[in-house]
Amino acid sequence: MLIYSFLIVFALLQIFPLIWLFDFSLVKSGQLFGPEILKIPDPPQWGNFVRAWTDGNIPRYFLNSVIVVGGSVLGATFLSFCAAYATTRMIWKLRVVVYNIFLLGMVVPIQTTLLPNFIWFRLFGLYDTRIGLIIPYIAFNLAFNTLMFTGMMRSIPRSVEESAYLDGANMTMLLGRIVAPMVAPAIATVSIMTFLNGWNEFIMANTFLASESLRTLPFAVIRFEGQYSSDYAIQFACMALVAIPPILLYFVFSRWIMAGVTAGAVKS
Amino acid sequence: MHAVFTNRKAIVALTVPALLVMLFAIVAPILLSIYYGLTSWAGFGKLTFVGLRNYRDIITADPTFWHSLANAVILALVTIFIQNPVAFVIAAALTKVKRSRIFRTIYFIPAILTVVVVTRLWVSIFNPNYGLLNKVIHALGFSQFSVAWLSNPSTALWSVIFIMIWYGFGWALLFYYSGLMTMSPEIEEAAVIDGANRWQLYTRVVIPYIFPVIQAVLIIDVISSLKQMEVIYLSTNGAPGDATQFIANYLYIKAFMYSQYGYGSAISVMFVVIALILTLVTRGLTNRNPGVEL
Repeated sequence: MLIYSFLIVFALLQIFPLIWLFDFSLVKSGQLFGPEILKIPDPPQWGNFVRAWTDGNIPRYFLNSVIVVGGSVLGATFLSFCAAYATTRMIWKLRVVVYNIFLLGMVVPIQTTLLPNFIWFRLFGLYDTRIGLIIPYIAFNLAFNTLMFTGMMRSIPRSVEESAYLDGANMTMLLGRIVAPMVAPAIATVSIMTFLNGWNEFIMANTFLASESLRTLPFAVIRFEGQYSSDYAIQFACMALVAIPPILLYFVFSRWIMAGVTAGAVKS
Repeated sequence: MHAVFTNRKAIVALTVPALLVMLFAIVAPILLSIYYGLTSWAGFGKLTFVGLRNYRDIITADPTFWHSLANAVILALVTIFIQNPVAFVIAAALTKVKRSRIFRTIYFIPAILTVVVVTRLWVSIFNPNYGLLNKVIHALGFSQFSVAWLSNPSTALWSVIFIMIWYGFGWALLFYYSGLMTMSPEIEEAAVIDGANRWQLYTRVVIPYIFPVIQAVLIIDVISSLKQMEVIYLSTNGAPGDATQFIANYLYIKAFMYSQYGYGSAISVMFVVIALILTLVTRGLTNRNPGVEL
């Protein structure tokens, strides 16, 4: 019984900030300055959300996030699948070296690439483009994704692939029809983790994108603070709107997310 | 049969695209940073080569750099000695209760939010006038403790660290819970039958069993303490003074705010070197090497 109360108190600590956020996003802005910790919105100011949606340019930012993150999920999943197979299953001299090069991606801090890439990408016309954001997103997810695939691939006996080859399969068929289905859980985990990383990412998007028309969803919150610096309720509504997609995704896919994290820590 | 697994063309086709992406977006920028770190370039205009002067200045004449490192160490210590034990205790409690799923779900929600929402939300909570924290303090009658959390030099760092701990807690909990769940109940039962009390059970049986997980979490904690940037950038930007400065944020504002691109690049290089050293040291110390095992 004591355990439960402790757990509940802690749950409140984790979740109460969000409750506070959603609560005060539905009141009139000035009411934030009252002494109440929580206020029942009477009447609920849904208009705050409407204004956050339209003035905060959320549909466009949302679309940009979908494009950029979708592209990076496809790219990172596919590339790491191939790389993992080559470094796990294939037999060649540089196998271990290349594998460690991929893992290096986890060591290098993203912020150390911000300055040079800001200049370097410009040379290739990649500054202020969506693809210019997709490429680094893929790059920084390769390490973890390859690790995931490697873990799963190592636990599959070669016999299945060997008999497929004996039946006449070439490499593409082998990978697509035999191996991929066998590592489907890893594909799911990798996709979701890459998605979350990209969806919530801020500093690269902030550095490599300049045009309003290209910015991603996290930026909606920043933009709003400049514009509506004294209308706190609308700012809260904007934050709430930006917070909702990951929460929804989380409730739907929580099992895969947990599996991914588990595999990362426990398996290796 | 063997031919399939040694097919040169296939190996190249499978690895080169990923390698190219990594070379382009990760390796090349580091090399460029090394180059730019040897200049006093402003990011535009004239580029002057100054050799190792930036590095000398960073090491000998830059208190902000060392302060930032110290803050990272403080964060790592708080994470390791406060966040992790709490996460472990709660994970252990969750393995014993029936409805753990709902708790685990709630505990992990902060971790899936974007850093922008998390940081700006907590900046609001810490706001001295309308923030939730001071309101709670007032309501509890401790009005003398309501301060400007993020601008007061004695509370700023702890407030920022708290945000980071709150944000990352779900991950630590998840790792420990997963690790604990891999332990079969028979082990625990056997220890209890042998007369172990709760303390002995945990210190002599459970913790050694999940030690690999603890090692993994520690490595991740140390590295990510060093890498903190967005939370600072979106809240205090290092203020007041250097109280909440972290390296990644420092190099960013040196380049983009103060137009000291060469100097910022030098900091980047030092940062990578420190991160590499730390990774190798923590892996060596804890005797884990997932990179080489194949």
